[in-house]
Amino acid sequence: MSLFATATATSTSSVRERLRRRSREQADSDRAVLVLHDVTKTYPNGKTALRDVDLVIPEGDFVFLVGPSGAGKSTLIRLLIRDETATKGQVVLDGQNLAKLSRRHVPKVRRKIGIVFQDFKLLPTKSVWENVAFALEVTGTPRKRIRPAVDRVLALVGLTAQREQLPSTLSGGEQQRTAIARALVHDPRLIIADEPTGNLDPLISWEIIQLLLRINELGVTVMMATHDADVVTALRKRVVALEEGRVIRDEVGGAYHRAD
Amino acid sequence: MIGFILFSIKRAWQGFWRNALMSIAATATMVLMLVLLAGFWIIQTGLLSALDFTEQKVQVTANLQLDATQADIDGLETRIKAMPQVTTVTFVSKEQALARYQQLSKDQGREDLTQYIDENPFSASFEVALVDPGMSQTVADALRKDPAVRGVLDTKDTAQNVKTVTDLLRTAGTVILVVIAVIVLFIIVNTIRLAVFARAEEIEIMRLVGASDAFIRWPFVFEGAMVGLLGAAITLAGLYVLADPIAHFMVDFFRVLPLSFGSLTRDLVVIVVGAGLGLGILGSWLSVRTYLIR
Repeated sequence: MSLFATATATSTSSVRERLRRRSREQADSDRAVLVLHDVTKTYPNGKTALRDVDLVIPEGDFVFLVGPSGAGKSTLIRLLIRDETATKGQVVLDGQNLAKLSRRHVPKVRRKIGIVFQDFKLLPTKSVWENVAFALEVTGTPRKRIRPAVDRVLALVGLTAQREQLPSTLSGGEQQRTAIARALVHDPRLIIADEPTGNLDPLISWEIIQLLLRINELGVTVMMATHDADVVTALRKRVVALEEGRVIRDEVGGAYHRAD
Repeated sequence: MIGFILFSIKRAWQGFWRNALMSIAATATMVLMLVLLAGFWIIQTGLLSALDFTEQKVQVTANLQLDATQADIDGLETRIKAMPQVTTVTFVSKEQALARYQQLSKDQGREDLTQYIDENPFSASFEVALVDPGMSQTVADALRKDPAVRGVLDTKDTAQNVKTVTDLLRTAGTVILVVIAVIVLFIIVNTIRLAVFARAEEIEIMRLVGASDAFIRWPFVFEGAMVGLLGAAITLAGLYVLADPIAHFMVDFFRVLPLSFGSLTRDLVVIVVGAGLGLGILGSWLSVRTYLIR
C-alpha cells in the first residue's frame, strides 16, 4: 500500500522504478497544498471519525471527496480549517503544520482556504457586493484594495449585474455563486466545497460545477465533498472515497462508486 | 489601527440597529439594573450621612458648677483638651444656653417658659465631641471626678446603640450593594449573550473567512459599550426628571440633617456611567468569548 495517495498507477516492481516513484511522490508532497499524514481524529465522546488517513493534494488538483453520511467528510473539512485538531498524525496546509499553529495564527491560515457550504451562509441583510466585501473587511483589508478585488471575483462568477441585490432576491445558483465569490476573494490556495450543489436542482448544479472547474483551471486547488454520483462519474476527476473514517479508495479518473 | 477602531465602531452601530429589538431589550435591562443600583446608592448614601451625623452628635456635656470662676473654667478646658479621646471642646456660656433654649422653643412653636422666671436657670457647660462615640464612658467618668463639674450629661447608652446600629447598617449596605452588582452582571451578561446568539451565523462566517479574534470581538464590545452608555444616559435622564421629588423626599426624610447633595449628584453620574460602560463591555466580552477560536 502506497503511503501517498497520489501514487500513479504503475505496476512495475523493479527497485529502481520504486525509488524513482518515491522521490517523485516526495516532490509532489513538497509542492502539495495539503498533506494529511496518518491522521486520526477521536472526539471527546470517544467516537473515532477518522482513522489513519493519508492524503496528498498537489497544487492545482481537483478532488472529489465522496462517501456516505458519517464517513468522516465533515470531520476532514473541520480539520482542514482547524476547527478541530487531529488526535494523531499531521495536517499540513501550504507547508504549515496545523497542530503546531498558535491560536493567533489560525485566522491567517483560514484566509488560504475558501470554503463553500451547501446552505451558502450568506448574510441576509447585506447585498451580494457587501457579502463578498465582508470577507475582506473583517480581515482588515484596506478599503482601496477591497473594491477592485470584489469587482474582480464578481465578474469571475458572473454576478456583476446582481451586485446590489440582497441574497433573498437571488436564485439558489446565484446565491451559491456569491458564496464562491466570497471564498475566492482572498486568493485562496484551496477551495473547499462542502456539498455545494446539495440544495440545487441538477441544471443549476452543473452550472456550479462548471464554475468550480473554471476556477480550478485558473490554478486554484479545489476539493469538493459531494453525494452527487452523476457529477463525479461524468467528470472522471480524482476521487477520494471515505468510509467509516478510512480512505477506502483514491483514484484518478474514478467514478462515484467503485468500479468492480 | 484607526481603521480597525472605525471598522469596529461602524459594525457596532450597524449591529445595534440591525438587531434593534434585542438591542432595545438589552438597553431596557441595563436601565432597570442601573436604576436599581442608583436607587440603592442614593438610599445608602443618605443613610450613611445620617449615621455620620448621628455619630457626631454623640458627645459628652459637662455642666459647670454655678459658682465656677473664669480660672476654674479655663483650667477645666485645658484638662479636657488634653484628653486623647477628645476632638473639640465648645464652651457654652449661661447666656448662650438660655438663648439656645429660647430659640428651640420658638422653632418648635412652644411657649418660652423662661419668660416667667427672672434668673437664668442654665449653667455654663462644655460640649465635648469625641473621636469615637464608643469612648464616651471614659470621658464622662473622667469629667465626673473634676471638682469644677456639677454634673455630666452622658449619652453612653445612646452612643452604644447608635454605634451598633451604624456598624450593622454599613456592613449590610455594602453586602447588599455587592450582591446587587453581581446579580446585575449576570442578568446583563445573559441579555447580551442573547443578542450575540442572534448573530451567531455572522460570527461563524467571520471565523470561516479568517477574521482574527479582535475583529470578531471588538465590534461586540463597542456594541456592549453603546448599550451601557445609552442605558446610563436614559437612567440619568430619568433620575434628573425625578431629582426634585427625590430631593424633597430626602430633605423631608432626613429633615434634621445638614446633608450635602452636591457630591451625591457627581458620584451618581460617575457610578451610573461607570457601571453601565463596565457591565456592557464585560457582558459582551464574556458573551462573545464562547464563539472565538478554541
